[in-house]
Amino acid sequence: MQKRWAHLKNANYLLAGLIVIGLAIAPAWLGDYAKHIVILSLYYVIMAASWNLLAGYTGQFSLAHQSFAALGGYASGLLILYFKVPLVVGFLAAIVTTMLTGYFLGRLVLKMRGIYLAVATWAFSESFRLTIAAAYTYTRGDQGLPVPPLFQSLNPIWYYYLFLALTVVLLLVMYLVLKSPIGSFLRAIKDDELAAMALGVDTVKWKLFIMTFASTIAGIAGFFYAHYIVILSPVMLSFNEIGKIVIMVVFGGLGTFVGPLIGAPVIVILSELMRDLAEWNMVFYSLCVIVIMRTYREGIASLARRVLERFGMRRKIALANDKPTP
Amino acid sequence: MEPIIETRNLTRRFGGLVAVNEMNLAIERGEVRGLIGPNGSGKTTLINLISGVYEPTSGDVLFNGKSIAGWSPNRIANYGLLRSFQVPRLFGSMSVMENMLIARFADFRLDYRKDYDGATEKAQQLLEMAELDPLRDKPAKILSGGQKALLQIVRGFMVDNISVYLLDEPFAGVNVVVKETIMKVIEQMRQAGVTFLLVSHEMASVRRMCSRVTVMAQGARIAEGSMEEVAANPQVIDAYLGGKK
Repeated sequence: MQKRWAHLKNANYLLAGLIVIGLAIAPAWLGDYAKHIVILSLYYVIMAASWNLLAGYTGQFSLAHQSFAALGGYASGLLILYFKVPLVVGFLAAIVTTMLTGYFLGRLVLKMRGIYLAVATWAFSESFRLTIAAAYTYTRGDQGLPVPPLFQSLNPIWYYYLFLALTVVLLLVMYLVLKSPIGSFLRAIKDDELAAMALGVDTVKWKLFIMTFASTIAGIAGFFYAHYIVILSPVMLSFNEIGKIVIMVVFGGLGTFVGPLIGAPVIVILSELMRDLAEWNMVFYSLCVIVIMRTYREGIASLARRVLERFGMRRKIALANDKPTP
Repeated sequence: MEPIIETRNLTRRFGGLVAVNEMNLAIERGEVRGLIGPNGSGKTTLINLISGVYEPTSGDVLFNGKSIAGWSPNRIANYGLLRSFQVPRLFGSMSVMENMLIARFADFRLDYRKDYDGATEKAQQLLEMAELDPLRDKPAKILSGGQKALLQIVRGFMVDNISVYLLDEPFAGVNVVVKETIMKVIEQMRQAGVTFLLVSHEMASVRRMCSRVTVMAQGARIAEGSMEEVAANPQVIDAYLGGKK
């Protein structure tokens, strides 16, 4: 059975390699606006993939994930603005604050599941958004906090390659975690937490780990995103932001590694195409999700996999039919 | 000889209800102990107390002479005391083989790769023993009720240092063939040194598997001995058939 799908697995690695090479050489043909869309897509790929670790793999439906991206950005932005620290210190601060906050939020919601967890994390996120908005003397609230760019040049090509490298590295780290026994523990917690405990899985430890890990990844992504867009506002913490991430993952395939990788760019591109529709584009995404949920709940990634498998089966049958009969 | 599992005056209250009341139980190493009693007598609560799902209101649980009362279920499992559930609890989205391997690597160490081949081999042997090996790559959710019960039991044997296995109604809702296979697996693992506490309503199976039986009623132990001895005990007959008031 494993051998049967081995060619598909190798094909996945090959495809991933080709996509990375394609993205690496693509700027030769892309204008600045297209490069910006790719950068946005890569940011949301990281956000969606890390949220998928929580909701898709562990069953922890957190609605606070966007807060960690904002926290990473604000931690660095505020330190640079008020204490004139170098960027590298801002980066370390983003990691440490998101890691610690992720851990404490994880502790807080440790015994919650489903709707309770969603509401508690949403409340956390809203409190943080309101704090940022209310503390405008420090954060400049809705006016926005200026954040220095990472590069002196205005050419987006540097950000393009930076985000590409960052996405590859972070996805690789997430992939390695999921391929280790930790990935199985997370899925076991989602399937049946008590059964996992009864077999010796330290569910408390792994739930805290994944909340801390996913929050830190979001914090790192938020740091780079903040220094790319150079202005931070509470909009980054809005419910629309997490709504978009949820839609990306559900559209691509909740609980699949490839799902967010497909869902995020599709939604970012659609979002840009429907920019003139303003808030109506969220209505469109929601309709997309309803259609996906109604027709193919496992998302586009699983649909594509099924098609590929069916194609593989047909090819196998065709090859068998071609064999001369003895 | 010191018992491998011992409960001392173990009590668990749920509000005004005393589910387990001053329960004393001692199981010898290598034994297959039967635990029977009418519905609601506290058998599953006792298993939940020993395995750490519930914390005792009072009393103690000793495993290898060490108090484990109040420990988390995963800590108890890592210490070698496993349990199964009345309704099989599998990881439905995972394959049969993944269900087996998760038990082996639950006590996570970073050098898990070293053990991977050995663990797969052990899982394969256990699946063959349970006659589940043709299903090793199938998702656990598609198994039949009997196959789920079997998988749940053999999965516990993947834990490296298992020494006690608490089986809660392992024969419930399974056909004769699966029942025979479960009994075969229990006997083989008993010979390999595992001690069992077998909760069951299947008197014929308990009679066949267990040299000693403990009977519970209303949360307390009312009799203990061979199946013949407890079957002749008037208190046991009263508990099952309803005694005179």
